[in-house]
This record gives sequence, C-alpha cells and structure tokens, in this order.
Amino acid sequence: MEFKSAEEGRIEKFPVGMRVLAVDDNPTCLRKLEELLLRCKYHVTKTMESKKALEMLRENSNMFDLVISDVEMPDADGFKLLETGLEMDLPVIMLSAHSDYDSVMKGTSRQLLPPSQSDLVPGVSKKRKDKVNDSGDDDDSDREEDDGEGSEQDGDESGTRKKPRVVWSQELHQKFVNAVQQLGLDKAVPKKILDLMNIEGLTRENVASHLQKYRLYLKKIDEGQQQNMTPDAFGTRDSSYFQMAQLDGLRDFTATRQLPSSGLLSRSHLTKIQPHLYSSINLQGMNSSGFIQQGHHQSSSNSANPFGTYHSTLPPRIQNVNLFQRTSSPLESLQFPRSKCSAYMGDFKSIGDRPIGGGFVDSCMSYGSSSTSLPSASTNTLMLQGNYTQPLHTVSSVNQPCIEKTLSNAASPNISVQGLSRLPSQSWQGNLNTTRFLSNSSPLNHAFFPDQVTCAGNNLGDCSSLVSAGNPGGGMQCEPQLLGGFLQNINSLDGQKWEQQNCSMVNNTFGNVEYPLPGDNMVFRENNAARSKGVDESLMSPIENSGNVNSQEYVGKPSTMVSAEMMKSGKPENAHIDNQNQHDVFDDIMNEMMKQEENNGMVSVAARFGFDSFPPP
Amino acid sequence: MDLVQMQKSLQDYTKSLFLEGILDSQFLQLQQLQDESNPDFVSQVVTLFFQDSDRILNDLSLSLDQQVVDFKKVDPHVHQLKGSSSSIGAQRVKNACVVFRNFCEQQNVEACHRCLQQVKQEYYLVKNRLETLFKLEQQIVASGGMVPAVELGF
Repeated sequence: MEFKSAEEGRIEKFPVGMRVLAVDDNPTCLRKLEELLLRCKYHVTKTMESKKALEMLRENSNMFDLVISDVEMPDADGFKLLETGLEMDLPVIMLSAHSDYDSVMKGTSRQLLPPSQSDLVPGVSKKRKDKVNDSGDDDDSDREEDDGEGSEQDGDESGTRKKPRVVWSQELHQKFVNAVQQLGLDKAVPKKILDLMNIEGLTRENVASHLQKYRLYLKKIDEGQQQNMTPDAFGTRDSSYFQMAQLDGLRDFTATRQLPSSGLLSRSHLTKIQPHLYSSINLQGMNSSGFIQQGHHQSSSNSANPFGTYHSTLPPRIQNVNLFQRTSSPLESLQFPRSKCSAYMGDFKSIGDRPIGGGFVDSCMSYGSSSTSLPSASTNTLMLQGNYTQPLHTVSSVNQPCIEKTLSNAASPNISVQGLSRLPSQSWQGNLNTTRFLSNSSPLNHAFFPDQVTCAGNNLGDCSSLVSAGNPGGGMQCEPQLLGGFLQNINSLDGQKWEQQNCSMVNNTFGNVEYPLPGDNMVFRENNAARSKGVDESLMSPIENSGNVNSQEYVGKPSTMVSAEMMKSGKPENAHIDNQNQHDVFDDIMNEMMKQEENNGMVSVAARFGFDSFPPP
Repeated sequence: MDLVQMQKSLQDYTKSLFLEGILDSQFLQLQQLQDESNPDFVSQVVTLFFQDSDRILNDLSLSLDQQVVDFKKVDPHVHQLKGSSSSIGAQRVKNACVVFRNFCEQQNVEACHRCLQQVKQEYYLVKNRLETLFKLEQQIVASGGMVPAVELGF
C-alpha cells in the first residue's frame, strides 16, 4: 500500500499485513489509531487493557510484529509492555501525551506521540525506530512521528530492535583495550577478552562486535598513517570507526558524544527539549566541566590524549537526543580566560578544566545548547595554539563558528571543529557528526572521521565527516564533503520532521596533544573566521531563526536549511545570527574549503564549527 | 434547500469551526480516514469521544467535589480527556485541559474548579457544533448527495 504523506507528498510503502498490537486505554485514541493502522493495511489487534495485551504477547511470541502502546494506563504500566515486547525482540512504540523528557526517556528510546499529535501513523512503520516524542502539553498537535527518518538510519541497527545496548564507556573500552593488549591483538578472541575484562553482564557477543570495530579502527589508523586520508576514505559513515576512535581517545578524534537517543523529536518539541536532560551532556560546559574533568583524569594518564574522549555512554548509533544544555550564559563558559591561554600552552591538561573543553571533546555534540560555547572555545583553543595571547576575536562572539586555519605543517595541531555550541539545545536533536582533525606529524597522523551525519529526517548517511587528512607534512585537509554533504542532506530534511537529526558533531580537538604546536602552524584566517562565523551561524543558528524560519522554507538552501533545522523549535538564545548572509557566507566557506583542498592545503577543516587545535602540553 | 446549497452550507460551517479554533487539523485527519469503505468513521469516533468525555467530566466533577481532593485521581482523568480531545481535533477542549492539568499539578482546588467549568464549556460547545455538522451531513446524504470531501484550502 502506498501512503502519501500529507506533508511531504512522498509515497511510502508500508509492509502490508504487518501485525500490530495496539494498546490504549483511551477508546477514542485507540479507535483512531486502529484506523490509521488499517489504512496502512496492517493487521490490527487492539485492546484497552495492558494486561490483556501482555497475555496476548506471551501466548504466542510470533503473533505480532509490532506493539504500539500508551504509556499511562490504569491497569498496568505501559513500560511493562515495553519490556515484554523487548524481551521478545519486538519493536515497541510507546505513545504518550506526556511531554516531560523524563517520562519519555524512562525505559524507551523511542516514543511516539499519540495519533492526535502525530502525523499519520504510516510513518511509524518505517520509523519504528525513530519516534518522535512530542511534548504532550504542547499545543502543537502536529507532532510527528514521523517521518523522522530517523536516526537510525545508519542502518547498522537493524533498527527496530530495542535491546538494551552495551555502552562502551571509556572505562569499559579501556579494559577492553587492556585485555586485547594483554592477549595480543592476534590472539585476542572475544571469549578471552571477556574473561579478562570480567564485567558482569557483558556478553561474548558484545565483545565480539566491539572487537570487530576495534580492528577496523586500527586498520584505518594504519592506513591513514600511510597515506593521506582522502575524503573518500572517510566518506562513508563509519560510525564504528568513529566510535572506536572516540573511545580510544588516542587519536585525533573528536569524541562523539552520542546522547541517548530517544526518538524525541518533534518540531515543537524541540523547543521543549528539556534542559535538565541535557545536563549530562553539556557542551556548554556547565556540567561538562564535571564531565570533562573526568575525562581529563582519565586521559591524564594517557599523555597522548589528555582530554580523553568523553564519549557518551550511549551507543553511538542510537539516535541522539539533543542533549544540550542551555546555559544562560554560554559565553561565560566559553570565554577562555586569557590566563588560561598560557596555561593551556604550557599545560594541555588545563583545557580539560575548562568547561568548554569538555564541550570540545565531546564530539557528539548534540548541540542543543544555545550557547555557543564550543565554537568559542575552539576558537580559543586555536588561539592559544597559535601563540595566543589573546583569544581570537571571535571568541567573544557567541557565534563563533568556523575558524579556518591552515596548518602549515608538521606538528599541525589537531583541529577539532566544534561548532556545536551554537546549536540550540532544543532544536538540535541529532548529533551532527563532523569531525575534523588535523593530524600532525605525530604518529597519529591521521584523521579519522566519523562520518556519521545522520539526520533523522534524511539519511545523511552520505555525509562524510570532515576529514582532515594527515599529511606527512602534517598538513590538514579539509573535507568539504562533510559540509557539503551535510548541507545537502540537511536540505532534504523536512523541516517539520526534524526529528532526530543525528548529527553528531564530532570534534576531536585534543587529538594530538603531544605535539607541540608551532605557533606558526596555524594561520588564522581572519576573514575566514568572519565568514565561518557567518557560516557557522547559518549552520548553527538554530535558535535565532526559529521564530522566523519556516522549516519548510529552506529547501534548497543548505545553509539555511541547517540552521533552520537547528532552530526549529529552539528558542533563540543566541541572537546574533545574521540569517541573511547565511547562504553567502556558507557558500563562500564551502568554496574556500574546496579550493583549499584542491590546493592541498593544509587547510584546516572545521569549517563549520570552531575547531580547536591543541598544542601539546 | 437543494443539494448544492446544503453542501455549500456544510462546507462553510465546517470551515467556520476551524476558523474559530474549535477544531484543528486532527479533525481533518479523521475525515481523511473516512472513505466509501468506511463512511461513518468520523461520527463513530466522535461518538466515542462524546461518551468517553461525558463519563470523564462526571468523574471529574465528583472528584473535585470531595472534601479532600485527590489530585492523583483528577489528573489522569484530565490527561485522558486531553488525549481524546486532541485526537479528534477538539482544540479548545484540549487547550482547556492543558490549563487544567497545570493547576492540578499545583494542587489548586479553586483553580481546578474553574478549569473544569471551562473544559465543560468548551466541550459542550464542540459537541453542539459537531452534532450540527453531522446533521447537515445526514441531510445531504438523505437527499441523495455526497458529503463533499474536505477542502484544505481555507
């Protein structure tokens, strides 16, 4: 059956005959849901009682393909049904009129808005994985379940499974790595690794898949060292690589912080992204300082990566929630105190102390944050490196977006592009992955890049992350593709269905800490900075535009699209984005990046997001 | 009144409901789910809504009239009403429920009473309008005509 999405006019096909169990204690809603499902030619079994639903499920595990259930029901907690469904490996969609993030997050990574608050359910089947959660109290009843194409797009997850995933935290990964090293990479078999790690609840399968990723990652590193990384190399979304990079923290990766994904996307919802939610991941630095510190400590033992990578504990592929904390004074967190600059120079670690540092490191910038801490921060860092005695001019501006640097060479610092900070917390639900790294002459001369830009709505899969190739000479290359790709993808995003934009911004700024950053390595292009600022703004200015940008308007305008998306429902907190220049600025930047790449520039990437280069301690 | 006039009346009437904010796009969705194979869907769902709401409003009145109001009981009712009104597009009812819930959270009995009144008012209003709408439709059908498809152009 084909169903035309009212909003997009797309024709979508739904699995005819899919057996759905619909549970809702509200007869009106249930009836409507039933009809919606029937329209999609699904086979519907409905019940108003959760108990009954459980019975049916247990009676025959093969009876249904999908369960859709309300969360609050008098006779039983909807989550119980969820658990049961998950145990049976069934995709479960939770419906709730609750808007508060906590209840949404509780137990589910995906939620749907009730039929009244979402687009026609047809979207659901496709998006089983991506649920959009709308704040029930929101007056905007057009939530969508939509089309959010969701985050899962990476496809690595077969999508509808909601198994509890193992989160490879830094510690866990470290144990893993230790075990592997102990055994010797050749002899490292999952079973033995598992035994050595001795972690309760970890299965051989978990280890096996992680090992596979790790091997790939190592391989890529090797390859990278041997040659310049070409954009192609990282063209694909290689989230596993990326993740590994993050975990490893060894290289110039930007840690991608993947936030718990919950299919919480909703247009209006974006505005509602609960701030407290984001507290855990705070790009801005408020909370992140704590976080950073951690990472910092962790990494402190690893000289190569003082910052460690703060990776989120969430599986990378999970849809990222916009965990972004809006701090009231983003700038503060960003401001890189001068005094720290020198400290920075001298002591790389000090960066970790900066709240912002954490932001950087966290590549997964889910940036909802309205503060622009990151860019500034990165700017700052950059500044630092380049022998700064004062922060970059852009620092003070909240919209500091991209600063382009050209690294001349050899010890080029890693530049991580951050840029996430500008995103409004609310609007950016996904994680935009852009990683850019400069590799310097150190052995870690490669850049890895995750390219996972997955936008919920569209498969941004083909967004390649910005890759900075590690030149032997330490040059850095910009990977304009990412930007372009991203933009294009953004373009196609349906403004309304912002759902999860899984765009993780990956920044790895601290990758090469061990290399001294020659002051002359970084050429700051002030003009670029200005431009990037513009671009950045356009890219990241979610907030400002929320008011005036109609999500649907920007099709075709990548830069605006992005920002529009970002801002979608965000409340503009950063007022200074000049939307008008966005396109131009962005285009300029892109052109520039292209040129640079052509020229084999040691162009620093980070076009869009500020980037940090960190001088080794 | 001839058929065409009746159909026009119906359309105008429907539009007015949207313009006044009594109904929102969810109602349109309901209408879209109705077709020849499913000709009574809208009235079916709306009838369910009426039945359900009558019951809920009753329960709410009882709960709020207690000496000591148990908000833990009040809130789920309002939540349900909010959900069902939202699903059929009874926008004003839904909005009133939202306000109601806020006061529930604050455990403000006085305000809740007022909210209940407000909800009831909006509910009776939408009920009345929808009943009229259905009557118009029935008249058209009785005269051998077809109920015009929903126009989204307005």
